[in-house]
Amino acid sequence: MTPPLADREALDDAANPLGLDGIEFIEFATTRPQALGQVFEMMGFRPIARHRSREVLLYRQGDMNIVINAHVSHQPRAVQPTETPTIAAIALRVRDAAAAYRRALDRGAWAVPTQVEVMELNIPAIHGVGTSRVYFVDRHREFSIYDVDFTRIPTIDPHPPALAGLHWFGVVQYIGTDRMDDWCEFYRELFGFVELPDEQRFGILPKGRVLRSPGGEAGRFYLQLIEPEPGIVDVEGEESLQRVGFGVPDVLAAVAALRERGMGFVESDGVHTETRGALTRNFLGSVMFELVHDERA
Amino acid sequence: MSQLQGNIDDFGMDTISLAGPIEAKLRAVREAGFSQVMLSARDLVGHPAGWRAAVDAVRASGLRVTGFQVLRDFEGLSGNLHDYKIDIAKSMLEMCAALDCRVLLVCSSTSRHATTDLDAIARDLRKLAMLAVPLNIKVAFEGLSWGRTINEFTTAWDVVCRADVPNLGLGLDSFHCVATQTPLDELDMLDPRKIFLVQLADFMWTEVRSEEERITTARHFRVFPGEGAHSDAIAELVTRLDDLGYRGDYSFEVFNDDYQQIPLETVCARAHKGAVWLGEQVLRRSVPLPNRMKLRGRDLLRG
Repeated sequence: MTPPLADREALDDAANPLGLDGIEFIEFATTRPQALGQVFEMMGFRPIARHRSREVLLYRQGDMNIVINAHVSHQPRAVQPTETPTIAAIALRVRDAAAAYRRALDRGAWAVPTQVEVMELNIPAIHGVGTSRVYFVDRHREFSIYDVDFTRIPTIDPHPPALAGLHWFGVVQYIGTDRMDDWCEFYRELFGFVELPDEQRFGILPKGRVLRSPGGEAGRFYLQLIEPEPGIVDVEGEESLQRVGFGVPDVLAAVAALRERGMGFVESDGVHTETRGALTRNFLGSVMFELVHDERA
Repeated sequence: MSQLQGNIDDFGMDTISLAGPIEAKLRAVREAGFSQVMLSARDLVGHPAGWRAAVDAVRASGLRVTGFQVLRDFEGLSGNLHDYKIDIAKSMLEMCAALDCRVLLVCSSTSRHATTDLDAIARDLRKLAMLAVPLNIKVAFEGLSWGRTINEFTTAWDVVCRADVPNLGLGLDSFHCVATQTPLDELDMLDPRKIFLVQLADFMWTEVRSEEERITTARHFRVFPGEGAHSDAIAELVTRLDDLGYRGDYSFEVFNDDYQQIPLETVCARAHKGAVWLGEQVLRRSVPLPNRMKLRGRDLLRG
C-alpha cells in the first residue's frame, strides 16, 4: 500500500483540527415557539421533547435536530427571543468537545459563560457572528445529549424519518461590507473550513463565498457568506446567520412533498424552483429555507 | 476666516491633546470643524457617570471615532501574563465595539518579560485579531520607538506579515518614524490597504539623542503638524503615503503639557490650522461640493 499523497487529499489532523463531523443541532430563538414549530412541522420535522427547566423544544427528522428556544437569557451578548425568529446557535459535532473548546479559545475565540441548572449538561460554547453561538458536542454516537436536558413527549416516535431525504446542507451568513476576508479567516483558523473556488456553487442562490467544513463526506456542510450589494454606501450591516439550507437528492420531488404539507416556494423570474434548488416562502418575517440538490440522503 | 473652510475630513484630533471632561472635548473638536476624533479608554472609564455614559456622549456628538487606544505590552507574554493581557484586550475590544469604532490601536511591547521571538509575537497578534473579528474591529499594530523588540515600522510590518490575518495591519506614528529616523523609502514596501491608522505629530527640537529624551518628548512636548521642526518630514511622509494609495484617516497624536492648560478652543484652532495645511497645501484636496456623499475608504470623489 502506498502512503496517501498529500497533494491529492489532506488526510492529516491539521485539515480537521477539531475532528469536526457535521451539525448536531441548530437553535432558533423566538417568543413564538409554537408558530415557529408549525413552520418546522411543515418542513417535515416532528416535536420530540421539551427541556426540563426552560421553554425550549426539540424537533427532529432523520439526522437533524432543531432546538426552538423561547427562554429569555440574562447573559451578555446573548440572542434574546423576539417575535421574528433568529438562528441563535449552531452545535458542531466534534471528536472531543473540551479539547475543541480549548483549542478555539487558544486561537482567539470568545468563551460563552455557561449557566447550567442542576443535572443539566454543560455544553461548551463560543461566540459566533452577531449574537449567535457555536456549541461543541461530542460523544453524539454513544448517547444523546437530549436524554439529559430534555423530557420526551410521550407516544411520539423519537426518530422520525427524514422527508424526501432532507439533510443538513449548510447555513447562510450575512456579513458587513468588506468583511469577507475577516470571516473566511475566522472559520479557517478556528474550525478548519476551506474556501471553495468561485466556479463551485450549489443550489439556485450562488452569491458570496462558500466555505466547506472539514471532515468526512457524511457530515460535510457548507457556510455561505454574503456581503451587501455593492453600491450600498456605508452599510455597517448587522451580521447574522440568515437561513438554513437542506440537501435533497431530488429537489422537484422534495418540493412536491413539501407543498403537500402546505409549504410555499418562491417562484419569481429571479428565484424559482428548478432541479438545482428551491427557496421556501418567508415565514414569521425572517424564516426561509433553501433546498439544494445533493445526492447524500 | 471661517473654521469650516477647507477639506479636513481626512484629519482628526485626539482627546489626549485636550484637558477636561469628554463632553467638553467632543464639543470643542466638533466646533473646530473636525468630523472625527481618536479616543482613549481613559476617556470612557474616567467618566463620572460610567463608561456607558461616555459612549452615549460620543454617539450624541456626531463625531466618527477614528480609533480607540491603547492596548500596551500585549504581545510576547506567556502563561498567566498572557491570559491576563487577553482579558485586558477583551475589555478594550468591548469598549471599542460599543463606540462603533472600527480600529483598536496596539503599541509594541516595552516589557522585559516579553519574548523577542517574532513568530511568537505574530501568533499573539493573530489571536488578538481573531478576538476582534466578531466585533468588526481592525487591529492597528504600531512600533513604539522605545519598544523592546519592535521599535520601527519596518519590524512592525514584518510581524504583521508573519501573522497574516486580514484584520491585523499597521498603525504608523510620524513621531516614531522621525525620532528613529527610519528611511521613508521603507514605506514603499507597505501595502496601503494594510495601514489601518496614521497618527501625525511634530516636536520642537531638531533631534532627540537618547531613548529617555525620546520618551519625554513623545509624552509631553509634541505639537501639531506644521508647528514643529519637522514639517518637511511630515509633509513627505503624508505625500508618500498618499502616493502609495493610503486613503485612510490621519489622527493628530499630540501629547503636550502646555495644551493641557490652555482653553480647548485655542488648542483645537491650532489643530485645525495643521489640518488645513496638510489638506490644502500638502495633499491639495479640493473642497467637496455640497451634498456629495463621501464613500469611506475609497478615493472616488477625491480631487
